[in-house]
Amino acid sequence: MRKKTGFFMGAAATVALGALGATAIVPAALGQNAAGPFTAQQVVDGREAYAAACAYCHLPDLAGTNDAPALGGVAFVGAWGKRTTAQLYSKIHLTMPLGGAGSLSEKQTADIVAYILERNGAKPGATALTPKTAVPIGSIASGKAPPQTAQPAPTAPVATQPQSGGGAAAQISGRQESAPASGAGNAPAQSAGNAAAQPGQSLFQRAMAGVRVPDPGGFGLPTRFGLIHEGNIQNYQPVTDDMLRNPPDSSWLMYRRNYEGWSYSPLNQINTENVKNLALKWMWSLPENGTLEITPLIHNGILFIWGTSNTIQALDAKTGELQWENRLGPAPRRPGPGPSTEETRAMGLWGNNIYVNTPQGYLYALDARTGKEVWKTHITDEKQFPNNGGTVGGSTGGVIIINGRVLVGMTNCGRKGDDNHCYISAYDAKTGKRDWKFVTVALKGQKGGDTWNNLPDNERKGGETWIAGTYDPATNTTFWGTAQAKPWRRDLRGSGDGATEYANSTLALDADTGKLKWSYNHAPGESLDLDEVFERVVVTHGTQKSILTIGKPGILWKIDAVTGKFIAAKQTVFQNVYENFNEKTGKVVYRKDIQNQKVNEWLSSCPGPQGGHDWQSTSYHQPSDALIIPLSQSCVFMLGNGSQTYFEMPGTNGNNGRLSAYRARDLKPLWSFQQRSPFLTGVVSTAGNLAFVGDFDRVFRAVDTRNGKTLWQTRLGTTVQGYPVSFSVDGKQYVAVTTGLGGGSPQNKPATLLREVKRPANGYNLFVFALPD
Amino acid sequence: MALKFFVPARLAALAASLFFGAPALAADYQTDLSPMPLDDETKFIIDGRGNATASYDGKTFTVKGDFKGMPSNAISAHIFSSHLPGMPGPKQFDLEVTKSTSGTISGSFTLTSAQQRLLRTGKLYIQINSEKAPEEYPWGPKGTLWGWLFPAYEVVGPNVPQQDHWFIPQLDVPTR
Repeated sequence: MRKKTGFFMGAAATVALGALGATAIVPAALGQNAAGPFTAQQVVDGREAYAAACAYCHLPDLAGTNDAPALGGVAFVGAWGKRTTAQLYSKIHLTMPLGGAGSLSEKQTADIVAYILERNGAKPGATALTPKTAVPIGSIASGKAPPQTAQPAPTAPVATQPQSGGGAAAQISGRQESAPASGAGNAPAQSAGNAAAQPGQSLFQRAMAGVRVPDPGGFGLPTRFGLIHEGNIQNYQPVTDDMLRNPPDSSWLMYRRNYEGWSYSPLNQINTENVKNLALKWMWSLPENGTLEITPLIHNGILFIWGTSNTIQALDAKTGELQWENRLGPAPRRPGPGPSTEETRAMGLWGNNIYVNTPQGYLYALDARTGKEVWKTHITDEKQFPNNGGTVGGSTGGVIIINGRVLVGMTNCGRKGDDNHCYISAYDAKTGKRDWKFVTVALKGQKGGDTWNNLPDNERKGGETWIAGTYDPATNTTFWGTAQAKPWRRDLRGSGDGATEYANSTLALDADTGKLKWSYNHAPGESLDLDEVFERVVVTHGTQKSILTIGKPGILWKIDAVTGKFIAAKQTVFQNVYENFNEKTGKVVYRKDIQNQKVNEWLSSCPGPQGGHDWQSTSYHQPSDALIIPLSQSCVFMLGNGSQTYFEMPGTNGNNGRLSAYRARDLKPLWSFQQRSPFLTGVVSTAGNLAFVGDFDRVFRAVDTRNGKTLWQTRLGTTVQGYPVSFSVDGKQYVAVTTGLGGGSPQNKPATLLREVKRPANGYNLFVFALPD
Repeated sequence: MALKFFVPARLAALAASLFFGAPALAADYQTDLSPMPLDDETKFIIDGRGNATASYDGKTFTVKGDFKGMPSNAISAHIFSSHLPGMPGPKQFDLEVTKSTSGTISGSFTLTSAQQRLLRTGKLYIQINSEKAPEEYPWGPKGTLWGWLFPAYEVVGPNVPQQDHWFIPQLDVPTR
């Protein structure tokens, strides 16, 4: 299938192609000393344009991250060497930036192409690059940036992390002209003539920096941060350790409601008989732009929610009345839906405080009664790593609070060129002082340290923890999933066929010390961006306590919670990445072409990075012993730099979404249904034998946990995305769910594959449903 | 999604043949034809849908199908083999195809024992190429529509729950 193409333009191109041969990439074969088809000025302009439009996802050093392919080095030349500059131009112009396709002008696009080429060793010349310039990239680019330009592009300036405090809210308003009342944080307003414009700043970024700008997009974003509305909640009952171990039926105190990660509510007022009468009680509009995948928390009749710009709000859970609001900032870096690194999924409650981790890596304690900041720290002590676009790590998974400590994981950490690693860390809930941290890759001398092909410690990367852990109080053990080693392709990673412990594993840590009790590696030597990082559900059957989890390959795992030994596994969707998968032993063997992958060859991955399962969490319906799991069915072809094309999973008849139930005791399939759109929420199940789940195409529904039949559904404003919860106030049961956009593959793959689904690019809202009074 | 109906007798015959490890005799196969790998740049030329069925009576392998909604005219259709579903592989047969954006595909062939095994294990797929997305499209393994032939299985409409087991290719075709 992979054959040389013959439409490169010009004699030089033809010669170059002949030199390259049918399959081999020889980047330095032709034109290494010849001038490239772009000018030095285009490189200068392109550097600024890249910083403004591309660096946030592809990183200032073009190394790429998560869903954004590498645009520099061997990986880039391997992927693009056989293609032309015109094709790179077309790709960028038609599809970039993410969420804003078509917004780059021809000049900006050509400049960015010139900059990328130059950063890959191509030399500027006298002729400007145009959309029609078609030169084989492999003939002019080696993948090595010349020394004088090896420094990364500047990180696009954004609103700085604000100080606490602040005044009344101001919003950019009007389509022609916006005039913020004041700048970011407590900075004074700047007039239009005093714009602190930085080269390469977009209008959006200028607006977020407090500069008067035209607002053609009507962004409607706040430019003020701090405690916008101070609260005065009376009779607030402090959250105790005992409450966290035994949550009151009315409450939702943490990510998946209980320490065991069940996402199960014991409320049964809404049930299979009356759910057809469910109706909207109130809604609340959340800040637009960025990425929203949050779990509302409920305690004492107060609903706490995180919104983009790290906007924390407390609302009367019965009426939707605002109690307090603290905009921690900063604002999203650009308008429209954000990437998967720009969110958090779960806050935590303890004592009189609410705890918030931010994508920028900060950890806050706010007074739950007033919204005032109690303390603030940074997970990495604000260590800077410009190549990563900022600090050496952020945090998107959420927190879990155990024995007076706030435990939090890391995201976008542990990248090439950075001496730091990803870790799980614990902070004193009263003071913010760090108590312990556990590095999530095995270093030399540690157990599993010999699984990295003898790489030096500072080249052992990855093991992000972008989903909050769970906890077993009886053994004082906290369970965390880790993502794959980085770079996630083993051929680029240098780890050979090593298992790369503790990546893509379940980790069992002592909650008080962070000491490793055991680890179980689900996908040794992972190489396809197929994370095993998701929820660890703790289930007890008789004397056996198990961890149940499912990762992107779609294999449901059951592990002994005490020993870490494999118990059972079940394949839930089609997969072709494992040549062999033994359900009786849990052993997986990758396909040969994956084991021997090369940067310039396409690899098929079913599932792809959308995952058979992703962040949309499982619910454990305890009365029926059923795990109710959102699944997705798509595949990709990918190249060495992470470039991907998508296709429907074979045997699914185009149904990307699937909701399936398995019996936890023996992993027996119970029921399943599929539909065109994937589910973009976690599942909450209730004692009313209902499971609530929302989808990409705006449908929020209740299904019967016993057979999967849909008993009630409604259509909301945009994608139903986040973690639905159920709670009660004054004896009345409610169900709350958010709509929103942004995120990684679970949003991006269906957005391309499901062309018939039309969604607004806004509509970040909270909806609360109940039975009629 | 089009609703198809389950044919228990066919599945029973298939199950029996698989259970006893016999060649695929009188077995029926089906696939839905869906867009080949695409991205935001190429989704405008790689589109459409189709369905196909196949039967093998021990002597003749017969394929029939239809397609619609392709952005440009079909130029060729083939049957390929693959190492696993979702992976492209070498061409096995040429199919007749309507040279239009919608139409039919068909063909009858004699299978070697190796091809019989490929069919039985879900490793044959149909591919339709079109003017704007030919087989040798430069960005990855491209054509326009493709679909793997699997043993006949129950396809229910969207949102219709299936109890107990449901079709997963790995678990419902013989070992690889």
